[in-house]
Amino acid sequence: MSMDYVIVGGSAAGVTCAQTLRKHDKKSNITVISDEVFPLYSRCLLTYLLAGSIEEDKLYFKDKNFYKDNNIKLYLCKRAVSIDRKQKKVSLKDKTKVSYDKLMLATGASPKLVDVPGIDKKGVFTVRKIDDARSIMKMLDRVKKIAVLGGGLIGLRDAYALSQRQKEVTVVVKSPQVLSQMVDMQAARIIASVLEKNGIKIMTGVAAGEITGKEFVEGILLDNGGKLQCQMVIIGKGVKANTELASSCGLKVEEGIVVDEFLRTSDENIFAAGDCAQTYDIAREANRINALWPCAVEQGEIAALNMLGKKIAYDGSLSMNSVDFFGLACISMGITRPKKEEDYEIISQAKGDVYKKFILKENRIVGMVLVGDIKAAGIISALIRNKIDVSSIKHLLLEDTFNYAKIMPLVRKFQERFKQEEYKDTVITY
Amino acid sequence: MAKDLLQKKKTKDIKIYCDITKCVGCKSCELACAVEHSQTKNIFTALREKTLPKKRVRAENVSSKIISLHCQHCEDAPCIKACMSGALSKDEKTGATLHDKDKCVGCWMCVMVCPFGAIVRDVENHIAVKCDLCPDREDFACVVACPTGALFVGTKEEFEKKIKQKKKG
Repeated sequence: MSMDYVIVGGSAAGVTCAQTLRKHDKKSNITVISDEVFPLYSRCLLTYLLAGSIEEDKLYFKDKNFYKDNNIKLYLCKRAVSIDRKQKKVSLKDKTKVSYDKLMLATGASPKLVDVPGIDKKGVFTVRKIDDARSIMKMLDRVKKIAVLGGGLIGLRDAYALSQRQKEVTVVVKSPQVLSQMVDMQAARIIASVLEKNGIKIMTGVAAGEITGKEFVEGILLDNGGKLQCQMVIIGKGVKANTELASSCGLKVEEGIVVDEFLRTSDENIFAAGDCAQTYDIAREANRINALWPCAVEQGEIAALNMLGKKIAYDGSLSMNSVDFFGLACISMGITRPKKEEDYEIISQAKGDVYKKFILKENRIVGMVLVGDIKAAGIISALIRNKIDVSSIKHLLLEDTFNYAKIMPLVRKFQERFKQEEYKDTVITY
Repeated sequence: MAKDLLQKKKTKDIKIYCDITKCVGCKSCELACAVEHSQTKNIFTALREKTLPKKRVRAENVSSKIISLHCQHCEDAPCIKACMSGALSKDEKTGATLHDKDKCVGCWMCVMVCPFGAIVRDVENHIAVKCDLCPDREDFACVVACPTGALFVGTKEEFEKKIKQKKKG
């Protein structure tokens, strides 16, 4: 039976969903609706573009002919504005109506803004879409000093990128530390000191009170009474899920679009995945949004399989981030700053710029921070995901030589949990 | 031997297996891998290259045994899903997990999710490196270099068959 599959959103979750649908169903109609001006670009690469380390033609994360080759209809620069669930139709801003049998919402997220006077001045930007990056680059020649509001992952990535353009960058961070959602204080100190050593100024515990200037940005008034001169302000405060389309047609929405284990929304013909969807978090054992590329890809695939009627449950996502500033790499995962430390076992060690921290609960790793030496990150991620009792290898976690071989006894012991086929291949002769 | 291995390059789902009972941890595989991935492909000149070539295989010890561990070219590869630059992809013909160094930006998302720790950072060039099944040669550098015959290239069935025969013999 030929179906009409419609996907709103053309980034990681949407494209993976389209690709998976086509892989399993060669006949049906697949339509992707995207409000972007440029197809198939990787949002995460925008800061690399800003930094000048790549050109626009390297932003593609799929082959340029992906839509054509897969016989997928693409509506580009079109915005989906409403959904008629009874008629099963999506309406676009230009009044076009697109019928669906199964609909996927991969509407993504938008930058959080700050509520300060002067935010509408020229020279204030967020970095989320290709147009943002293009506008910033157009203006860069006229700019010497840049203030970045927000010391989280997004703010720091923006700051790092612009510092590569020889701009004087100051990061204004409300929290007492950078990356407060991602790492603990100790890791934050190491990262902040590397940024500062390389010329990026970091001000913690302050926030912008007003953006000053006439037409263009001239500076910032800080809430501690200080002033900061700058010609550009970047707001890098994180993102919020785009849920308007879902809530306007009555789907259940909390922080993000609510989905069940099959990534189905409160309407059985509508699915959601990626930055807009609130899914199960493995480490926290609760629902939340993990607005991350790998999670979006995973969810796009699972949602597609369920749209095809295969009934595949999603194991859940894991919050995880990787950054690299001036050669200092850091990866964090799961619960990195537990609220009640006494409920957890912490194994950590700092040696110069190398810092490792593992957070355990009942002998299972539930979180990790690695700075400087990240080679074991993937192995640990599998231990977190598969909820493995690590009591027998706990003493090895901090060692420089910690590697896959060290967990092989566990792979043998908990065969039923290490489901991926390739694990078996490694223990054939063990 | 080389001819046999050349044939293997075209086979689907081949990868490099290690017979743990034969591996002695001599690290010949690591050395051969680094040399094969150098500019000059010669150990003496490779040492003089601007950036030292990187090995993509590691001999690691587990209890008292040793395993030479490579990229497993996973069928449902987590690294491909995590790659936000499109540098990692699946070769549909051979099943190999391919890495395009020109597309890689060194974000280390693949390092973050590889369950085997088989992707390593090339810090100087700021890109990820992994086993590429030696595209520049007819055979496989590590397998040829292995002095104990611990390394084997082929499909899972072939490897299992070999191990069974060994047990019988």
